Amino acid sequence: MTSDKTPTVKAPKDPYRWSALGFIAPGVLFVAVLLYLPLLWTTFLSLTEYNGLGDPEWVGVENYVEMFDDPQFLGSVFNTLLWVVGTLLVPVGIGLGVALLTWNLAGGSWLRLPFLIPYALSGIGVAVIWSFILGGDGALDQALAAFGIVDTPRWLVDAPLNTVVMILATAWQGVGVNALLFTIGLQSIPKEPLEAARMDGATGLRLFRSILWPMLRPLTAVVVGLSIVASLKTFDIVQGMTKGGPGRESETLALTMYKETFVNSEYGLGSAIAVFLTVVTLAAAILYLREQLSRKHEA
Amino acid sequence: MRTRKIPLAVALAAGLVLTACGGGGEDDGATTGTLDFYTNKAAWEPDFDELNATSESDADITLNTTGYSDADQYDAFIKQSFRTDKSPGLFTWQTGPSLAELVDEGLVAETTDIWTEAVDEGWVAADMREAYTFDGKQYCVPMNIAYWVMYYNKHVFEEQGLEEPTTWAELDAIAERLTEAGITPYYQTSTLFTFPWFQQLVAGTDPELYNGLATGEVQYTDPRIVAIMETWRDQQEAGWFSDAGSTVDPAVGLKQGDFAMINFGSFFNGSLDGAGMVSGEDYDMFVIPAVNPDLAKTPVAVESGPLCVAENSSQKTLGLAYSEWWMSPEAQTAWSEARGDVAFNPKATVADPMLEELGTTVSGDDYELYDRYYEATPTPILTVALEQFGAFIADPGDPLPYLETIQAEADDYWADQE
Amino acid sequence: MSRVIRTGVLIVLGLIWLLPVYLLLINAAKAPETFTTAESWRPTDFSLFGNIAEAMRLSGLGESVASTLLYAVVSPAIAVLIGSAAGFAIVALRLRHGFAWFVAIFGGTVFPLQMILLPMFDAYSRTGLFDTRTGMVIVYTAISVPFSAFVMRNFFTGIAHNVFEAAVLDGASTLRIFTRVYLPMASSALVAIFILQATFIWNDFLLGLTLSQSDTVRPIVTSLAGMQSTYGGAQMSTVLAGGLLVSLPTVVLFLCTQKFFARGLALGQY
Repeated sequence: MTSDKTPTVKAPKDPYRWSALGFIAPGVLFVAVLLYLPLLWTTFLSLTEYNGLGDPEWVGVENYVEMFDDPQFLGSVFNTLLWVVGTLLVPVGIGLGVALLTWNLAGGSWLRLPFLIPYALSGIGVAVIWSFILGGDGALDQALAAFGIVDTPRWLVDAPLNTVVMILATAWQGVGVNALLFTIGLQSIPKEPLEAARMDGATGLRLFRSILWPMLRPLTAVVVGLSIVASLKTFDIVQGMTKGGPGRESETLALTMYKETFVNSEYGLGSAIAVFLTVVTLAAAILYLREQLSRKHEA
Repeated sequence: MRTRKIPLAVALAAGLVLTACGGGGEDDGATTGTLDFYTNKAAWEPDFDELNATSESDADITLNTTGYSDADQYDAFIKQSFRTDKSPGLFTWQTGPSLAELVDEGLVAETTDIWTEAVDEGWVAADMREAYTFDGKQYCVPMNIAYWVMYYNKHVFEEQGLEEPTTWAELDAIAERLTEAGITPYYQTSTLFTFPWFQQLVAGTDPELYNGLATGEVQYTDPRIVAIMETWRDQQEAGWFSDAGSTVDPAVGLKQGDFAMINFGSFFNGSLDGAGMVSGEDYDMFVIPAVNPDLAKTPVAVESGPLCVAENSSQKTLGLAYSEWWMSPEAQTAWSEARGDVAFNPKATVADPMLEELGTTVSGDDYELYDRYYEATPTPILTVALEQFGAFIADPGDPLPYLETIQAEADDYWADQE
Repeated sequence: MSRVIRTGVLIVLGLIWLLPVYLLLINAAKAPETFTTAESWRPTDFSLFGNIAEAMRLSGLGESVASTLLYAVVSPAIAVLIGSAAGFAIVALRLRHGFAWFVAIFGGTVFPLQMILLPMFDAYSRTGLFDTRTGMVIVYTAISVPFSAFVMRNFFTGIAHNVFEAAVLDGASTLRIFTRVYLPMASSALVAIFILQATFIWNDFLLGLTLSQSDTVRPIVTSLAGMQSTYGGAQMSTVLAGGLLVSLPTVVLFLCTQKFFARGLALGQY
């Protein structure tokens, strides 16, 4: 697999060049062959008119023009942005909170468990149970009624409330993973500076700001990066709970893409939306990560 | 860098392979054996497995069933599979424009001989053949048939002293009576199955108008359609429909009295039985009377799911052999027993007496069958219409904006067809 | 904050988090015949095992267990190794254009999975990988690689580079440094990635639906999802019971791996 012993002929300054390429090659190959090849095909389809039967017919950028012309497209972009912001605030924030609270706490790993269980539950049960909670006169309305609150909003019907409650449902499942990743980050913090800060009397918020937050940056980058990518692709929970409705009011970009491709057999248009989504996601990820990862080197 | 060029080269090569057309396999000509079968009615997989005992002894064919639970993904994969050597020997599909599309591309095997024999033997009503006929030839055979009727909670009807209506006016009176008693008359949902009441109102008012919508001759903004939507809205405002945002399983909803009636396909018996209701005791059904009392025949929405064979499948002969057996009374009797559904074959025995009776009723002279809105409407229009009806149900108001949105999509669609 | 307050806050928050789990449990235990949604919060009867048996009968998921277990163990294990190797190359070996290589791998996660399903199905059926366990292991590995590369790359940045230099001075080869120095130090990150990815794969529905058909290859959730549809099939409590049954192994996995995350500040101090 690797080529450790390969003599480095050309680059004495970079003695591990071939070795490093050997280490990274399997990862690049897996991703390129299994994930990028299909993406190339999708990009090709986005420039064609194709209904899933017969052969794709080249139409140039027509699908992209149609996409930007569609007023619904803007609605989907808006909902998707709502998802990005919402999932950064709620599951990432609570996840960090849980990680900090359980850190160095006796029995902390057990107290973290309730947050991890939702992630371990299969998606099928989760979609069903949240529909059950948020549906009209569902479990939530019944619980509120017990406290005398009867005039509740229609959680899954009124926009943009339906998007907000679906973000909360997602947070329920996502907090545990984020807490776990932050915990790993806390564990990788070296002891000495921490002890030194403690000696200086730093506790609570000050300890967090001066030591923990900067030291957590590599894992914060992971959590935030993954959160942005995942929220831009939001699909399952919306499809499971509102199908983008009523009308198309809670539709996200991924749902619009799915509808055009699988429901309407407009493969070209669906692919154009997918390409747009991919470009946006990649751009956001690169911008965010480059900034995060380069700042790290100064630390 | 060499390592960067290699993936690119592989990518291009694979891209070329993907673009290359073709697919499918040589028909191996076998008439007995194991047949790969794909269906979007994944919940019926145990029933198909049960049927294997009969098909094995009768025709020496067993089905190897693969079920898909998501209808849209299923459609996409079947379409894709025609291009590969997994081209299906037997698969379920929809009638209407979806089937026409496959026939146009020459992807499904002809079944004219099977139909001719079945009609001659009296195994299937001749008028059922229409939905399977394109340019005078038949494709596929009917897998299941469902009539869209009104199910009702018998206890609620008894408590209120209500009887099955025979006219639309009586049905309206029942709804009013129930509302006064604090009971919600009808079920509705704002996701996906948003069309039944629209379908019922339009077809029951004027079947010609309904057909016109399907063919594009009638506009959704037609004053007659607007008037129908206004009737619907008035009924909404009168509190005749259940909470649009409810996520309760419809069968459970009928059981616990969230609503007294629900317009559903006759396959609903299975769900109600599963929810613990007893057929004929806890629930019953009636054919919904026509809105317009002057209609000579009462229109009944029918949904029929075809069982098709891919033209380029390696199991084409085997699939057709199974299709032929499928039409026989023996097969349909066994199927009706396994599935507990109405049978299209009049010579088959239907296990559930309520469904047996329904089958006899609707094949009588006073009724005429029409294709369900879901199959009758071209897919792009259907997608928009389902969304717009959903939005209308969530916020009943002036119907015109909703209808205009649907019509805009319909205009696009029909313009493309010319 | 004092330990008591921290524990208190965590307990209250944890209980809120468990409420939906409670609903899931009691409603999965209700008999389909008597099930109503009017009393969501109250347990009415206990027929959980009957519901589980019915879910197994309807979905035939018994046959999927062995294959799903194979995917959920082998794929994340390979992916964790591949991802660590990539992270090692970028961070410890200071691969030139490391960020670009990193983005190339991470980019594998940015597009929606739904979009690559059809071409993948096409490619799999042409290469004979369709409906094979090997094919499933390969695709699950590929899906898991970007995540593990991302986490490992960032985790390794927490390890001082003089750890690497010291090992080089000892005359160790890069492979040896990777397997004997870096991997052991990263055990909690490796375990975390493994369980997160194993859970993801165990609960996968889409790839299984697309790339497999026979009962012995199809993963468990794809089998389970098939039992509910408009056209009848399972009742809600049966679906919930099935979902619960399928979730048991992953919950147990989380329970068993707790000790890996309870070590406090044992790492990264080299």
